[in-house]
Amino acid sequence: MENNLNRNLFLQQFNESDAIAYNQGFTSSTSDYNFRLLENAYRNTGRVYAKLKLAIDSNKCQDEACTLELAEIKHLQEAPQLSLDFLSSLLAELSTTDDPNFDPNNNFKYTAANSVMTAKPGFSKSDGYNVYLDLLPNGAQQIVFIGPAFEEPLVINNTALNALNESNTSLVAPTPDINKDMLRLLTEVGVFSADMIGENGELSAGAKITEEYVIMNPDGSFDYEIIDIGNGKGRNILKYDLDKIEKKVTPFINAEVAGLLSSEQDAVAAWNVYISRGTSVEEDDQMAQNANAGSSSWSYTEDLPLTQDKKVLFEKKYKEYFMNNYLKQFTTNQLPTVQADAAVFDLAEAKRAKAQKFIDDNNL
Amino acid sequence: MGPGAVIGLGSSLIGGVFAASSAKKAAARAAAEKARLGAKLSSLERNRQEVINPYGDVESLSGMISNPFANLGVATKAAEIKIEEADVSLANTLDTMRATGASAGGATALAQAALRSKKGVAASIEQQEKSNQDKAAAGEQRAQQQRIAEEQRIQQAQAMGKQFVFGATESREQQQIDRTYSEMMGAAQAQAQAKADQTGAITGMFGSMASIGGGMLNA
Repeated sequence: MENNLNRNLFLQQFNESDAIAYNQGFTSSTSDYNFRLLENAYRNTGRVYAKLKLAIDSNKCQDEACTLELAEIKHLQEAPQLSLDFLSSLLAELSTTDDPNFDPNNNFKYTAANSVMTAKPGFSKSDGYNVYLDLLPNGAQQIVFIGPAFEEPLVINNTALNALNESNTSLVAPTPDINKDMLRLLTEVGVFSADMIGENGELSAGAKITEEYVIMNPDGSFDYEIIDIGNGKGRNILKYDLDKIEKKVTPFINAEVAGLLSSEQDAVAAWNVYISRGTSVEEDDQMAQNANAGSSSWSYTEDLPLTQDKKVLFEKKYKEYFMNNYLKQFTTNQLPTVQADAAVFDLAEAKRAKAQKFIDDNNL
Repeated sequence: MGPGAVIGLGSSLIGGVFAASSAKKAAARAAAEKARLGAKLSSLERNRQEVINPYGDVESLSGMISNPFANLGVATKAAEIKIEEADVSLANTLDTMRATGASAGGATALAQAALRSKKGVAASIEQQEKSNQDKAAAGEQRAQQQRIAEEQRIQQAQAMGKQFVFGATESREQQQIDRTYSEMMGAAQAQAQAKADQTGAITGMFGSMASIGGGMLNA
């Protein structure tokens, strides 16, 4: 699995970097991308078609009813449309490897195949790559990729791909856009009022959690926490009832997770790319490549279908990811809504006043 | 040189293949989104928090209301003592009269005096009983008023509870459920549109397919 991950990461970086532009060997040689898949696949079909037609017309078939010949003619007539359909399905699948949040735990051969199909630098015939479309005798078709990145030929059959697509499964697992999902989830968990949500369906700038979740004193005033901002100065910040917030948001997070788990391969991709390590989107942006689960990755070949333990772990870590990376910013260092309480004050003076209030309140 | 050279044949055909490819990807993503929202919707509906009626535990306290004047005792002990004292006094006086040879008329007067004393006691008991009956009636009236007030409080609490549960159920997760449902419908529409685009792209390729057929015939 590690090997696959590293190969995929290498291919991703290779395709994303401009390094090849500075490779003298590459720039000085011819890059031939004339794989001509369809032309090669149909090169001899005219002759075969003519022979079959001739056999039927001259009653020289293998049996009296020309069963075999008629079947082969039918396959040939249907083949062009099948080929186009197959190629468009394959390109759709392989293009997932170009997604910015692609999970490198997918089979690296699909990344290489996409590079060949989209004529990426370094994947030409002159670089040792080739691709064939074969029309099989049973009417099915297969595409075969060969070249340095593949080790063994990568063979994809159109009937297998169709079956996968029909059952809403993918050859290459797409990674859900967790950032987009969680920004939307923020507006759905019920701790922000409707007027905090903008027309784009996301929280507006300056959105605050409703006062229902702010800790108050028995007299109805806000129970602030004082923070030291340096130079002997302090500020009040709001304190939130985190238990109450968690109770409120949990059912909505669980529903979101249930939605994600409706496609387990998408959940595996989300786990590998975002959830497992718990890094934030900002942290990922600062890295050369997105953090990925690495050795704690889940494998598409070994971990699907997901066990109940893994589903529970996914739910737990998804919730942590949401709470830490998205909700926490709204419960941390929030200034008072009462303007008079929001001013910077002298910390020592505030401490003295607080002590005096305690003495007064307790008749000491 | 680009993907066209990889696949071969004419540019219109290649364009069609790539258009169909994009449409297929969009259709697959929309189908996945629809499935995701469907599962989310089911979860939201299945795990609706039970709305708690804050008035559900309100109990009628009318059983605790009683008439404190219902069984007031009459102070008969003092009356009995008073009667006994009158009897003892009568007996002692009669003994003295017998010893001193007093007349029968004196004894009769004495007996009448004792009788009057006992009648006074009976009148006192009667007065107490009357007073107690009045208090019991007044007490019962107050208790009934309190019981009615308590039943009214319970009925009002039950009505408020039903109103709260209805309101809370209507407003809470329903908003979220409605939104998810609407998103799911949007995903279904997107899927349908992507399928239509896909069909359009493939239909557009039919003309170009002649080049493949031509390839067959020319070979």
